Amino acid sequence: MASSSETALKTFSLTNDIRDISPQDEIYKYDVEANKRLIREQPWTNDPHYFKSCKISAVALIKMVIHARSGVPWEIMGLMQGKVVGHSIVIMDSFALPVQGTETRVNAANEANEYMVQYIEESEKVGRLENAIGWYHSHPGYGCWLSGIDVNTQMNNQKFTDPFVAVVIDPNRTISAGRVDIGAFRTYPAGYTPPNTSASEYQSIPLSKIEDFGVHANQYYSLEVQIFKSALDTELLGLLWNKYWVNTLSQSPLISNRAYAASQLTDLHQKLTKAASNVSQTKPVVPALPSTGEKISSTSKSQKSEPKKEVENQLAKNVKDSTKIAMEAQHGLIAQVIKDILFSSRPGKASLEAITSIEETVEMAIG
Amino acid sequence: MDSGEPSVVLPSSTLSSLSLSLHPLPILNISEHLTRLRLQTNNVLPFVLGALLGTQNGREVEIVNTFEVAVEQGERVDHGSFNVRKEQYKQVFPSLEFIGWYTVASHPTSRHISLHEQFSAYCSTPLLLILQPTHISGVSVTSGHLPIKAYEPTIEIRDRSSRSVYIEAPFTVETGEVERIAVDTTARGGEGGTSLESHLQTQRAAVKMLHDRILLLVNYVKDVISGSAPKDHATIRSLAALLASLPASDSQGFRDEFETEYEDVQLTAYLSTLTKSASILNDIVDKHNVLHSSGREERSAGFLSSRRRGIPGRGFGGVPGDWDRMH
Ligand SMILES: [Zn+2]
Repeated sequence: MASSSETALKTFSLTNDIRDISPQDEIYKYDVEANKRLIREQPWTNDPHYFKSCKISAVALIKMVIHARSGVPWEIMGLMQGKVVGHSIVIMDSFALPVQGTETRVNAANEANEYMVQYIEESEKVGRLENAIGWYHSHPGYGCWLSGIDVNTQMNNQKFTDPFVAVVIDPNRTISAGRVDIGAFRTYPAGYTPPNTSASEYQSIPLSKIEDFGVHANQYYSLEVQIFKSALDTELLGLLWNKYWVNTLSQSPLISNRAYAASQLTDLHQKLTKAASNVSQTKPVVPALPSTGEKISSTSKSQKSEPKKEVENQLAKNVKDSTKIAMEAQHGLIAQVIKDILFSSRPGKASLEAITSIEETVEMAIG
Repeated sequence: MDSGEPSVVLPSSTLSSLSLSLHPLPILNISEHLTRLRLQTNNVLPFVLGALLGTQNGREVEIVNTFEVAVEQGERVDHGSFNVRKEQYKQVFPSLEFIGWYTVASHPTSRHISLHEQFSAYCSTPLLLILQPTHISGVSVTSGHLPIKAYEPTIEIRDRSSRSVYIEAPFTVETGEVERIAVDTTARGGEGGTSLESHLQTQRAAVKMLHDRILLLVNYVKDVISGSAPKDHATIRSLAALLASLPASDSQGFRDEFETEYEDVQLTAYLSTLTKSASILNDIVDKHNVLHSSGREERSAGFLSSRRRGIPGRGFGGVPGDWDRMH
């Protein structure tokens, strides 16, 4: 008897908190009418910069990252389902497409069309009402940006199936940096020149890809990526940590990313070789430059100082690359040294030595 | 339950011998499925049904992914849709098999047995994973246990008749490395940089957790010695076994490997420092050249121009032609 009244109470409190949708969960609601209206009005056609951010749900993110990793060393591709809210593209879910290979192959995803259509049809039956709102693909080891082929694909998508967003994930950098390496992009309409071409944050790109990156960098812009989760997710994630914390100690980024680390060093070597042949031509950033402007007309000044600066930056860029490599390796080593102390040192013996070595390591990482 | 229906779960004294590991993705998928259906149906306890995908190797089972299952009238599985989805997942994740199904309930009932029968065509012993909703809005959140239970189906023979029942299967949570990073990123709300600080915090949190657990064991042993806790021989034996295996890896081969790794990383740091020094040195040389190149030019360009270039800042701009020559 007691248990049945308890159950009744629970059921009561359950049915009663329905009105109490936490504001956090509001985003999981899909308003079909509002979305139709938005698609009709297409406010994004007038403003090439209409979309400012890309919100990605916890499941969509985790699915994409796992898929990207499962494809290494190949590139993989998939689609995302979602909606538009204000100036954001909201991604609720993602699914993998049966294409894998090099960039060219991944983009020529026509063979996956049938799969895609069928998947989306079936989605509606299980209450996934959102349409396809973007595509994702992976760049294993070479960073998140759009290549020339990607730009073309995305331009076509924006022409024919807008609103559409392109998401790129780097599974290798995700592991070496210990955080998800992801970018969301929208292309500009053909012929559009963005008002401020200020370079985005520096990212290291392998030598073999630098040209492709440079040529197309002004044809698209990146959206701010935000991750969201439901109230229930938040609770479960907290509880999950109690279970999987062991993995933090049992995994080693040094070992799981050995191939990538080696490829990064090879790339750095190539870049340095290239820089070495240029180094005799580098010129300092001339401190006297401002005063020269007084006498030379401003146009000729900028024409001359631009290419010069680039040469100068070559070696400086390599410094950034190498610092990044070293820092990530140090982070991996810190984890290993901690484990060594925890699990392999005998009490009293050599523990002091181990502690000084960890201090050294930490200092290295800071520097 | 109270209606007098016999429980479909065998008493907790019998546990499944499966070694079951569960990934965070299926858990979050079920959570998302439930949240979405709640909002769509305006019902706190909607009927949630989905399939579990994973790998099975003898008695070792790993649940890796899930997909939602469409239902027809009267809680019948839409087998057409189910097959399409199953095949589609097979195409993109060939290593994953259908190994069971999930739903949201506080515990398995006869309703689940009838669903179980619909799935048994696809797999001989489909596992059942349930998310317990009452725990979420109810009491045991603070207990630190995941509101998730796994069950293995089996046949109970009693009084010469057999019936399908479930036995609870204990599970552990397992993650791949990218999965862990993605889950961590999500848990922190997408924040968290590559900084040393956040890296150390993650390590610290894990070490603290380990420390807490060890402390718990130490306290237990203390209590046993002082007589205030009952002596559980199985526990004490496994404790002794654990201690005997420490230090975890004492072999020379492991040591050598570790040292090599250590040196490799330090070499990387050295390389980075060298590159940095080279760049700084190059910068200095360049600056030096600017300051003193006027001297070189002096000899080649003659007396008149050298005078003009006495003050470098002005000299550069003096004649555009000179500027060109310098570069
Ligand atoms: Zn690409």
